[in-house]
Amino acid sequence: MNLDMKILVVDDSPLMRGFAKSSLEALKLRNVIEAKDGVSALKALKKEKFGLILSDMHMPNMDGLELLKAVRSDSGLKHIPFIIMTLDGKRDVLLEAVKKGLNDFLMKPVTVDSLSKKLRKIFPN
Amino acid sequence: MNAQMKKINSYLQELSLEVVVLEDSDIPAMGRMLNAICSLSTECEKKGASPLSSLTSAVKDYLEKLILGEVEGTAPLEEGITCLLSIFRSLSHQEEFEQDLTPLLDKLGSKTAVKEAGAGSGVDQPTEKEAGPGSETPGLNAEDKQILHDFIAESLENLAVVEVRLIHLEENPDELDVVNDIFRTFHTIKGLARFLNFEKILQLAHSSENLLDKARAREIKIDAAVVDIILESVDALKSMIMDVQAGLENDAAIDFKADIAPTIAKIEEYIGRSEKVGSKPLGEIMVQKGVLDQNIIENILETQKLAPGKKLGEVLIEKGLAGSKDVIAALRDQRRYGRKEIDLQVKVDIKKLDTLVDMTGELVIAHSMLRRNERVLAGADQELNKLLNQINQITSTIQKTSMSMRMVPIKNTFQKMYRVVRDLAKSSGKEVNLQLQGEDTEIDRNMVDDLYEPMVHMIRNAIDHGIELPGEREKKGKAPTGSIDICAYHRGGNIVIEIKDDGKGLDKSRILQKARSQNLIDGIGDPTDPEIYSLIFQAGFSTAKEVSDISGRGVGMDIVKQSVDKLKGRIEILSKPDRGSTFIIRLPLTLAIIEGMLCRVGRERYIIPTLAILESFLLEKKHYFTVKGKGEMVFLRNEPIPLIRLDRTFGIPSDATEPWGGLVVAVEHDGQKRGLLFDEILGKEEVVIKSLGDSLKETRGIAGGAIMGDGRVGLILDIPGVIEIAKDN
Repeated sequence: MNLDMKILVVDDSPLMRGFAKSSLEALKLRNVIEAKDGVSALKALKKEKFGLILSDMHMPNMDGLELLKAVRSDSGLKHIPFIIMTLDGKRDVLLEAVKKGLNDFLMKPVTVDSLSKKLRKIFPN
Repeated sequence: MNAQMKKINSYLQELSLEVVVLEDSDIPAMGRMLNAICSLSTECEKKGASPLSSLTSAVKDYLEKLILGEVEGTAPLEEGITCLLSIFRSLSHQEEFEQDLTPLLDKLGSKTAVKEAGAGSGVDQPTEKEAGPGSETPGLNAEDKQILHDFIAESLENLAVVEVRLIHLEENPDELDVVNDIFRTFHTIKGLARFLNFEKILQLAHSSENLLDKARAREIKIDAAVVDIILESVDALKSMIMDVQAGLENDAAIDFKADIAPTIAKIEEYIGRSEKVGSKPLGEIMVQKGVLDQNIIENILETQKLAPGKKLGEVLIEKGLAGSKDVIAALRDQRRYGRKEIDLQVKVDIKKLDTLVDMTGELVIAHSMLRRNERVLAGADQELNKLLNQINQITSTIQKTSMSMRMVPIKNTFQKMYRVVRDLAKSSGKEVNLQLQGEDTEIDRNMVDDLYEPMVHMIRNAIDHGIELPGEREKKGKAPTGSIDICAYHRGGNIVIEIKDDGKGLDKSRILQKARSQNLIDGIGDPTDPEIYSLIFQAGFSTAKEVSDISGRGVGMDIVKQSVDKLKGRIEILSKPDRGSTFIIRLPLTLAIIEGMLCRVGRERYIIPTLAILESFLLEKKHYFTVKGKGEMVFLRNEPIPLIRLDRTFGIPSDATEPWGGLVVAVEHDGQKRGLLFDEILGKEEVVIKSLGDSLKETRGIAGGAIMGDGRVGLILDIPGVIEIAKDN
């Protein structure tokens, strides 16, 4: 795993973004960019190259599932690993996301342990 | 096949291909499967209720639970999809599907059991069946036949490659790539056989794959037996595939003639064996997982000793020290780790190890040069010192590790001695019992070969000259069977090998007599015991009255001496009449590094191998005297020994002309003791031996050079050489 890769953290709650960001930093992933919803996330994705997306499910404007669909249908973005961070883990929404090419999902709040486990699966090195 | 059936077929194919390689928690793959199964489900529902649709929805439910982590294990999924395939196959051949789905549905956790599983119960019969020229083959259409042809061709080709690779693997069991290649072949065949519903091929390929998987995980060592089993499996698979071909060509039902049960049994037995490997203690795992503290575990283990019968896990739960969940998790880990405990080994070319050891030596030197660098010494930078200490620790760990990699147990060499003793005892009519000790003592790989010959010679000597004939022994009141004990151990950075017999011991007067007659010794003075004993190492020396088949030709013991010298070791003999003799060989642990005393004469610095050193002392005038004809002498604990002035030996200036006030290092070689006079002792150091190069190789008195910590060169003294030079002067 390239420790310098840019990581996009998408969540409407600054607190939750903070959890994710600090967990990433604990894993020596310091190049983190934050976005407050799907729309601004897409904007950021178009501007720069990202190595990983961590996104909340329920957000105003554009939710996580919509963002995932947009990312997966964009040929330039569709290979970026996508992890959903979810609070309630609603089955149907999650399964829908899995069908749309989700890489993995995480229960919120994000912890170093759970995050590192998932990352190890996506980036075997 | 109508369009709908074709769609169903393609989804099922996709599913079966995915599930074969599916790993637990591979979300993207499960996502793809979920898509396929949802589409499948839609298609099935169009056809109305059927075993196909109820099983499909059960499989879908299970997959969803698997994705969400509510259940674990892909096996039910695999089974479900396999079953879906066979239902589909019956449907497309307009056959009845009679298997009871209830157990499978239970396994998948579906509560809606289907009872109407059976012929035509609401199932639309396929309306068309492709009729081709080859359709006479029972149950096969043209498409199936093409698939079968491909299967046969591909599998036979792959299996042929496997055979070649297996032979290669037998010779190079550590090549993981090869194991992986072979594994993949079996895996592919398994997947295809599952798809084509060749149960027997599937079983065998599956078993073999399991075995290879263990080999891949290094849980099974690949040896000739494993290769044999896999070859057997390859042969059976080949014959079954030929059966498929025969069936296809003759348009007959496929009849598998091969009896695969014995092969599978063998494979299972092998796999079973690997699972019996010992496992880690539970306590250790729990400490590692951070569930418990080392102290707690130790306490409990203590109390457990007092009241045995209860398992550690039970005690922990009872005392509330750990939750049952933690204990169970640890127990599961224990089982898992247990199988992985087989030592992982890699074969490495000894030359690479030698280079590593050499380079480590250079690293040690470079590091100590850095330490003594003036600028480093001058600056009192705390941080720098800390870093240097850290590097020091790492370097010495690397050094130890790289040295240890070249170490092998002395066992092999030792065990060859059984044969030597047996053969010699037989041919000499003596009874000898050999006992070995310390077989696990490790020795530098490069020394092993050089050790064999001297050991054989010493054992020959012991049996030929030491141990008496049984009758003779009984007369002396000894057991008729003589004994030879060989033991090896480490002591003070050296490896010591003792060869002890309980024979008649060395005959001092005979040795002396013989030595005098051969002019091996000058007639002056009384030689000490060690000096007399060491005479037997002289070339051409033999006290045996008759030249025997084995020893007594005067070759042998001098070879022992030469070999030990070559290994930079020392040999010592202890002997008592009628009690036996002991040969003690001391060798440095390795040839690359020696421990030496660093001493200075004038501006030159010499290294004396510590193996040769007896002791060192400050020379006082009262301990110094001269003897006519023998030159300068000093007292070593009231024993007069000749003094050698190194400045004179090497023709270099020293600090003082008077010997007193200088330091004497007493050394011993072949039982001869000498005092070497130095100006100063600088300390003890481990040095990496460097050859002086061809032009200086023959320099007398110098065994080699070493680069010292400060980057300057020190010369390693060759004690026998020095003694020789002094004699000549």
